[in-house]
Amino acid sequence: MIVRQGLVIGGVLFIAFLLQVTLLSRLGLPGATPDLLVVSVVAVALAMGPIQGAFAGFLAGAIIDVSPPADTVVGVNSIVYLAIGFLAGYVVDTRDRTVPGMIAIAAIGCAAAALATAALDAMLGSPRVLWESVPLIALTSALYGALLAPLMIPLLAWLTRKLAPEVLLD
Amino acid sequence: MLSRRTRIVLAVLVVASLTFVILDLRGGDGPMSSARSAVSAVTGVLQKGASTVFSPVTSAGDWWSTWRNQASQISDLQQENAELRTLVRESENDRARADELDALLRVASVGRYRVVPAEVIAVGPAQDYAWTVTIDAGSLDGIERDMSVINGDGLVGRIIKVNPTNSTVLLLVDASSSVGGRVATTEEIGIVSGTGRQDSLDFQLLDPLAELVIGDALVTFGSRDGRPYVPGVPIGQVVDITGTAGQLTRIATIRPFANVSRLSVVGVVVRPPREDPRDSVLPPRQEEQVTVEQPQTDPTQSEQPLDERGADESNGADDAPVDDGATTQTDQQADQ
Repeated sequence: MIVRQGLVIGGVLFIAFLLQVTLLSRLGLPGATPDLLVVSVVAVALAMGPIQGAFAGFLAGAIIDVSPPADTVVGVNSIVYLAIGFLAGYVVDTRDRTVPGMIAIAAIGCAAAALATAALDAMLGSPRVLWESVPLIALTSALYGALLAPLMIPLLAWLTRKLAPEVLLD
Repeated sequence: MLSRRTRIVLAVLVVASLTFVILDLRGGDGPMSSARSAVSAVTGVLQKGASTVFSPVTSAGDWWSTWRNQASQISDLQQENAELRTLVRESENDRARADELDALLRVASVGRYRVVPAEVIAVGPAQDYAWTVTIDAGSLDGIERDMSVINGDGLVGRIIKVNPTNSTVLLLVDASSSVGGRVATTEEIGIVSGTGRQDSLDFQLLDPLAELVIGDALVTFGSRDGRPYVPGVPIGQVVDITGTAGQLTRIATIRPFANVSRLSVVGVVVRPPREDPRDSVLPPRQEEQVTVEQPQTDPTQSEQPLDERGADESNGADDAPVDDGATTQTDQQADQ
């Protein structure tokens, strides 16, 4: 059961990663790249729960840090996404969730990912962070996240019902 | 509150992430770099496949900026058309002069790069603040670390990671990238560093008293053995200068010739020119180059940027057969 959940999460994240680096980041959209990975992590957390969200965040960060063309410090994105995945699943009780609320969680998650990555990279001595462009990146990332959320959250909810219904019983 | 199991899982994941950070920051060929190459071998293949699937979308271009900039693009193109017409009229003269110079400097046979063509298959997200791309050529194609990457417009970056079938390119606009640059007209050298913005580079002259004019073109100065940068590749054009001559921090803003947000086919220089008589810093050679070039560059200084563009255009034409996968020789230096 845990293996099947892991496979669902891993498959979704890997496809999201491929879409992100080969399609979304090449569209030349202003500001940030639409952060499909963070939205997927949030969707996993909302569909399955905080622990699965944390695991999905860890995995998503590891995938993006280890795969080309990344040249960032491995593990930074893992920590950031793991926190986002956990909090997204933990912050609002399942019974109190509304559609706008879930979209807001995804948008805030994307903005938080952009800000936290910048902060951690700067702390680890990366010369790359351009502070004057960080607000724009965080804002546009939140906007794209809000647009992607209505696709990913129902998709993950459906996948969970079909492939890993045991999570819903907890 | 959190259950015991939840706390344990969270702690394990956090510790694992921190371990990754520490192992990676330690540098060298640690376990993280082997994990990277193992994963890259798989993801590279999948990226290549996905990139092929999405190529109709991505090659339709940068539709967002196309839509936004159409009006300014039309006027730019009209202006460029006028420039090109002038260029065509002048090109015969220029060509003859270039040929003469080539013969004079005996670079016709040595100023050639051997280039392996490659296609950009993945681009890192903007949120990572790193300008890196994956290309579909790797160690099996003869690519090694620290080789220069160029395209028809000029310098693109250098190779920082190599896998069997793909490699990662650090673009020259990345904030951690710096290139030795030389002003094409005055031979002044300096350091071109990336700013993290796609349309500007910083250029700091080594000699603060040196003269620098807006519109000056920059070429690479070249590194030892052509690694990581081969000499003579066009970098960009001066668009702004802050500070006055003599000031210690005198920085020029450079607009790179290569548009890094629209890369498709690039070339990796697998073999630098065998000899580079004009880019050596050795005093006798520099003197020779000055005496040879002085009469040529002086009367034409104002049209030097045009010459550079001419060089770019002809390089673009040379790159055309690059698509068929054959190793091509690109004549980058002949026009300087």
